[in-house]
Amino acid sequence: MFPRICSLFRALTWRRDFEEDMNEELRFHIEQHTEELMRSGMSREEAGRRARIEFGGLTSVAEECREARGLYLFDQLERNLRYAGRLLRKSPAFTATALLTIALCLGANLTIFAVIDAILLRPLPFPDAARLVTIFNTYPKAGVERDGASITNYYERRGRIPAFSSLSIYAFGTAIVGEPGSMERVPITRISPDFFTTLGAGPAFGRTFTDAEMTYQTDDVAILSGAYWRQHLNADPHVIGRKVQVNGHARTVVGVLPSSFHFLSSDSQLYLPLASSPEQRSPLERHSGGNVTQMIARLRPEATIEQAQAEIDAQNTALEKSDPQAKEMAAAGFRSLVVPLHADEVAAVRPTLLLLQAGVFLLLLIGMVNLVNLLLIRASARSKETAVRQALGASRRFIVSEVVVETTLLTLTGGLLGLAIGAGGIRLVAALGADRLPFGARIAFDARVAGVALAAAVVLGFLLAAPIAWFNLRLRPNDALHSEVRGATAGRGVQILRHSFVIAQIALAFMLLDGAGMLGLSLKRAMAVSPGFRPDHVITAQISLVGNNYPSPAAGLAFAERLEAGLGSQPGVSSVGVATNIPFSGRNGKSAATVEEYVLRPGESPRGHYSYGVGGDFFRAMGFSLRAGRFLTSADSRSKARYCVVDEDFARYYWPHTNPLGHRLFQGSEPGPAAEAFTVVGVVGSIKQAGLTDNSAQGAIYYPYIDHADSNIYVVVRGSARAGALGRMLQKTAREIDPELAINDVQSMDGRIEDSLMARRSPALLGGIFSAIALLLIAVGTYGVLSYSVAQRRREIGVRMALGARPGQIRGQFLTLALRLLAGGAALGLIGAWMTGQAMQAVLFHVPSHSWMILAASASIIGVVSLAACLLPALQAARISPMQVLADQ
Amino acid sequence: MLILKAVSLKPLHGYGVLLRIQHISGNVLEIPQGSLYPALYRLEHQGLIIAEWGQSENNRRAKFYSLTAEGRRRLREETAGWNRLASAIAAALSTTSEEV
Repeated sequence: MFPRICSLFRALTWRRDFEEDMNEELRFHIEQHTEELMRSGMSREEAGRRARIEFGGLTSVAEECREARGLYLFDQLERNLRYAGRLLRKSPAFTATALLTIALCLGANLTIFAVIDAILLRPLPFPDAARLVTIFNTYPKAGVERDGASITNYYERRGRIPAFSSLSIYAFGTAIVGEPGSMERVPITRISPDFFTTLGAGPAFGRTFTDAEMTYQTDDVAILSGAYWRQHLNADPHVIGRKVQVNGHARTVVGVLPSSFHFLSSDSQLYLPLASSPEQRSPLERHSGGNVTQMIARLRPEATIEQAQAEIDAQNTALEKSDPQAKEMAAAGFRSLVVPLHADEVAAVRPTLLLLQAGVFLLLLIGMVNLVNLLLIRASARSKETAVRQALGASRRFIVSEVVVETTLLTLTGGLLGLAIGAGGIRLVAALGADRLPFGARIAFDARVAGVALAAAVVLGFLLAAPIAWFNLRLRPNDALHSEVRGATAGRGVQILRHSFVIAQIALAFMLLDGAGMLGLSLKRAMAVSPGFRPDHVITAQISLVGNNYPSPAAGLAFAERLEAGLGSQPGVSSVGVATNIPFSGRNGKSAATVEEYVLRPGESPRGHYSYGVGGDFFRAMGFSLRAGRFLTSADSRSKARYCVVDEDFARYYWPHTNPLGHRLFQGSEPGPAAEAFTVVGVVGSIKQAGLTDNSAQGAIYYPYIDHADSNIYVVVRGSARAGALGRMLQKTAREIDPELAINDVQSMDGRIEDSLMARRSPALLGGIFSAIALLLIAVGTYGVLSYSVAQRRREIGVRMALGARPGQIRGQFLTLALRLLAGGAALGLIGAWMTGQAMQAVLFHVPSHSWMILAASASIIGVVSLAACLLPALQAARISPMQVLADQ
Repeated sequence: MLILKAVSLKPLHGYGVLLRIQHISGNVLEIPQGSLYPALYRLEHQGLIIAEWGQSENNRRAKFYSLTAEGRRRLREETAGWNRLASAIAAALSTTSEEV
């Protein structure tokens, strides 16, 4: 094969040389022959004539030679291309419509495909990434779907699960790095020594951690990311052994990762050992993953996920025999699940992305149906020409190749325009939040995506050509020539085909509109949900209390109180509070609590509740509503007696019939000594914790900060001043108290809620855009078919009007046709919309899978658009002048 | 096959190929002159022969064809195949009624 391609390529690139050489060679032959004939006694003229006769037709020999070299196809292609180009230039309106349709449809598909490719299709950047799995504990009956894996799990499983060649544990987090004065907060990952072995990618130089470095006394080492090494250490090649300051302590650099290393979506700057104490590795801590520490493992080449799952289950069962908590855990439905790492990471966004791809594919279908119809109309208009050419001997292959070249030229040109639209679209979806999805940073307009788009364009070209070629081949020259002469109407088959395409198009658009409508309604319903507190006029920020200044929770409390005092005295500030977490922060913050004297029902387990440590005037600053008792105050952090506040969900669950005030509870999953009990002093309204569409009534407990402290605190400021001013005020006051603190994530509460709706807003917006394009397409499609219908029946209409038909009747006839098409499309669309609704249930919020309101709205929008598109041709039909038509004959 | 055989002996130009075939077949086979060139081009396209410009006997620029390694192998195969076929046919034709 290869030499043939080379020889064809040479012939193509040196086309002129090829022709000259060939001519010279053939001339040489004839002259040689002439000379030989002359030698046998012929005259020169006679010999020349004989030589030429014996040789045969020079042109046909040359043509055969070209064909032998495979040039013939290219010659034909070039002719076809030129012809197609001429045809397309001659009808600019058609060409522009077609190109725009293809560009829009392909561009939209390209955009969504780029997102899907980056997030769902492209494998993780590790060797044999399909073998990477994650293992997490789940307690579904306790309301905890996902609890990561504990350090105990890691030490118990390491090396003991034969299906895994390597197993490791990690925890994402943040740390303050740098010298005082230039400290900044950076994302970090704490890892076990086998982390890089599991992934199959490790430091570019230096080493990974050792087992000896996994305890608190010996963990003063760090591995740098490529980016951190370059930006902060000037890519120092002798960096191994240098010290970096992390959270106020010096750590020795032992390794540097390559810049290409990316683990999931994290942009960790540093990797630190995940140190633990013997207590943290004890069986008592087996269920304390808390979704902070996560486990990954690599399957052995011959092992399957099922095998690994069976081995994990067997080990869990064996361990539970000696586990004091075994009964509660079994009651909570405890299991450890093994799932593919990539699939797990994208599980949440998968349905929405696939839905969008389906929507945009519908759009493509509509566009293509539209194009087929327009092309069919054109083919009908040219049927006479095609028939004449067939009658004159054009081969079937030639007719087909001509059509294919024309449609492919169209789709490829449209595809190139589509690349530009897609490039813009990718920027749009990034702005709509796609870049914040898992692997969102990988979304890019690259050669791979462009290649897929152009290949799709070629495939579309062939698909589009099929019905047109069929139409052309089916033409019987005799009929085609006759139908023009006699003024008969077009072949019924083609007409039915055209009409069914319009119906299909309307049905598809119906589905798209209905889907988009449901997304929109779902967004509207989600936005209408009250978060349970007043998010307006609230600014929040996160501050990390790390380093030597904050050795204890008391020091943190002192800082918080100075900050509250400092901010509270500013003009325009009405209340200030701090808390270890806030709603919509993206942090989970659930932990177990045990209610005194509460006896678990059979099958019930200790529940995880949203737990907050709060200080200052947190409740007023957040705008919580008080249902009974009182809010916590700063004084509660100082008092010896321990008090807490719970929300309505919590109160309803544990004390459905009694007054919750005065009851007592403990932190953790077991009751403690009486001195550690918290007395409930207040009940607040339930709030949405993670998202407006949450419907888990998991319950929340608010402890005084000192009793539920954390080095990460959120500051909440309510005030009448503008959000920006409040934010600056907050930062300035905090810096005045401690200039070394890192203040992050300053955002209004409204903004946080807005962001939490991104996953609903963006698909709804995209759905809206797709629907608008679809409407435009069906308008063009219906208009095209109807106006062609009118043009084709001009003679008939003219004759009828001459015989006394009124314009109204003619107009009515075409409007009836339009209505019939519309009704057919709507009926089919209704079925499609019903299926769409079923498929979309998973991503909808408080919207039934078939909302009559949306269906009716979609129907009327499509009705108005397509009838408007029909009106113009119908009016034209009514204005046809009989005199002129008959004169045309 | 005949063309391959013809150019296998020494590089030839198109006219030479024609003469050579007539010569080696004892003037039995005569190839229509026009159909020679498409055949040459096809063989060249398949990489069985290779063409080079050179000087003809009467000092004219002419294109000389010679066999490539691939062509040599093909010639061997085809010759063997032809011989097998020819001897099989010969054997079949010389069969007498007793042998059946």
